[in-house]
Amino acid sequence: MSSEPRHLHPAAMVIEGIRAVRGWASAAAIPGLAALLGGLSWWVLALLLLGVVSLIFGAALWGFLSWRATVYWVSGGAFHLRSGVLQKKERTIPLEHVQSVDTVQGILQRLFGVVEVRIETAGGGSSEPDAALPAVSRKAADKLRRELGGEGVEPGVEDVPVPRIIRRLSTRDLLVAGATSGQIGPAAALVGAASQFFDELYDRFLSEEAARSLLEALAPHAFAAAALLLLGVGLLAWLLAIAGTVLAYAGFTLSRSPDGRNVHISRGLLNRYEATIPVSRIQAVRVVEGVLRQPFGLASLRVESAGYGRDEGVSTTLFPMLPRREAAELLAAVDEGLAADPPLTPLPRRAFRRYVLRALLPALLAVLAAAGAWLAGAGAVWFSAVLPLPVLAVLYGALRYRDAGWALEGGRLVVRSRLVARTTSIAPRRRLQSRSVLRSPLQRRVGLATFRVRVASGGGGTGVEVVDLDLPSAWRLMDALGPSSASDRDPVPSR
Amino acid sequence: MREEPKERLDPRAKTLWRLSGFLEMLPVLAAGLGLGWAVARYGDQPPAMAAVPVLATLVATLVNAFVLPELRWRRWRYEIREDEVDLQHGVFWVVRTLVPFARIQHVDTRSGPLQRRFGLATVVFYTAAGPNRIPELAAPVAAEVRDRIAELTRERDEL
Repeated sequence: MSSEPRHLHPAAMVIEGIRAVRGWASAAAIPGLAALLGGLSWWVLALLLLGVVSLIFGAALWGFLSWRATVYWVSGGAFHLRSGVLQKKERTIPLEHVQSVDTVQGILQRLFGVVEVRIETAGGGSSEPDAALPAVSRKAADKLRRELGGEGVEPGVEDVPVPRIIRRLSTRDLLVAGATSGQIGPAAALVGAASQFFDELYDRFLSEEAARSLLEALAPHAFAAAALLLLGVGLLAWLLAIAGTVLAYAGFTLSRSPDGRNVHISRGLLNRYEATIPVSRIQAVRVVEGVLRQPFGLASLRVESAGYGRDEGVSTTLFPMLPRREAAELLAAVDEGLAADPPLTPLPRRAFRRYVLRALLPALLAVLAAAGAWLAGAGAVWFSAVLPLPVLAVLYGALRYRDAGWALEGGRLVVRSRLVARTTSIAPRRRLQSRSVLRSPLQRRVGLATFRVRVASGGGGTGVEVVDLDLPSAWRLMDALGPSSASDRDPVPSR
Repeated sequence: MREEPKERLDPRAKTLWRLSGFLEMLPVLAAGLGLGWAVARYGDQPPAMAAVPVLATLVATLVNAFVLPELRWRRWRYEIREDEVDLQHGVFWVVRTLVPFARIQHVDTRSGPLQRRFGLATVVFYTAAGPNRIPELAAPVAAEVRDRIAELTRERDEL
């Protein structure tokens, strides 16, 4: 199929212009701020105004030029993109290398009712998409998608066939997902940073006495004030975490194309993401039960996918939150080969001690350090503060031991482990890139080993591992997951 | 499966590792000497204390340049089996890795300046989850291994 060279939607002028301003503005920020801090005088103001006017003019010019320079078309079995104002670029991507065609709608794009189209190839995996068209109308995007062969549609049908929806995230679930997201940590850090900033302001504008009387008026006891403050920060962080989740995951819809080759994800309130993941590219899936979600029997689903190295949220979340026991069902709807929820083989008893010791050692070190500090003359406060650590460490180690397990079922390796969240990884045998048995000197003494498989993910790889399973089982897994042994067990059409 | 892979690395690897082990310890050795000198010159410690950092770095150098290369060479084995490459290495942490041919995307040989002096080369084969390597093979052996892996990879190309 070939087509005429096409321009982007005219909205691209504005979008490219604003992008350019963003780049230039950060370059101009430092001299600008310096000028402002030097004091406002008439000529500084005039200079500033001049700068702003030339910035706007430059951006408009740049936007127009880059819109005029950007042309794309499909011909000779390849996608072509010509772009570049000063340096001309022409990129050719053979159609059979096109891995996925995603559309993303940022706030700017929404304003103009256009989408950004991103084309990924298997060789990609870097942080940048292989080709991006910043503004294309919906219709043009659908047309391009058809030309690129993303969807197996009969030609002549005007609109893309409606993919079968697997699951949608309800508003109630969205709020629950936000409330249990475990993003409180990062959000709290943000609040902390912000409070630092307000501290500065407050120091500048409030005299010491005024601050103290304000504080006393607010809460008579310093301790109560601190507790109140902490509570306030925590609450604020929590609300921020909920807001972040709502913005990112609102309207999350997971669907599957009629031919079953691709799954589609669309989500986002302000930025609208639409990703297409070829099912054959899914290397492994993970069922993640966060600390806050596990008590309610909730989990999120992630995929490891080859050729997708972009930021975590976009394509690695297969579904943000669902009841744990429905995970297998949803995975089966994506691909039969991924669904598995077999009973897991626990680790041998003698691994228990190693799990506990591994958690205990850092805690003991902390206690030793605090004891040293105490002897050296520091207060006993620190010592008593770290004293409960070893007990917690033992509990943590025991929990990790209890949650660890593995199973081999229908040519799939299923591994469960806990770092903070409890994660169950499911890796189909056909997707394993390599498998290893690792033995440390101590493991060798007690007949244990670590079994690790590697799967492709993004630009590089990622591991799925069982720590401290008994050595015979490790060798058995090594044999059973090999390419030759499997052909008689679970026949796969070769070539 | 449980028996070790058959092939070993080239024996010249030991000499190369000794040399490179010594070279990479030179800065550490220099730091140890410097520290010892500083203690002797400025610290009001008994002179024996000055010998501690010097001796410690000396021992570390000896271990890295003479003991480890031997142990590492003894452990390092590989074998090209019927449908996968079998690797074993590691002095303390023993790692055994199997990489199916069907997953290997391409194979290289490469050799650094020091390796070339010894007529050695490294075979690197890439899967979608990153590279694996067989170091320090005699250059002709490395070329042979590379070609064999490449050929077997082509035969089992199912993705």
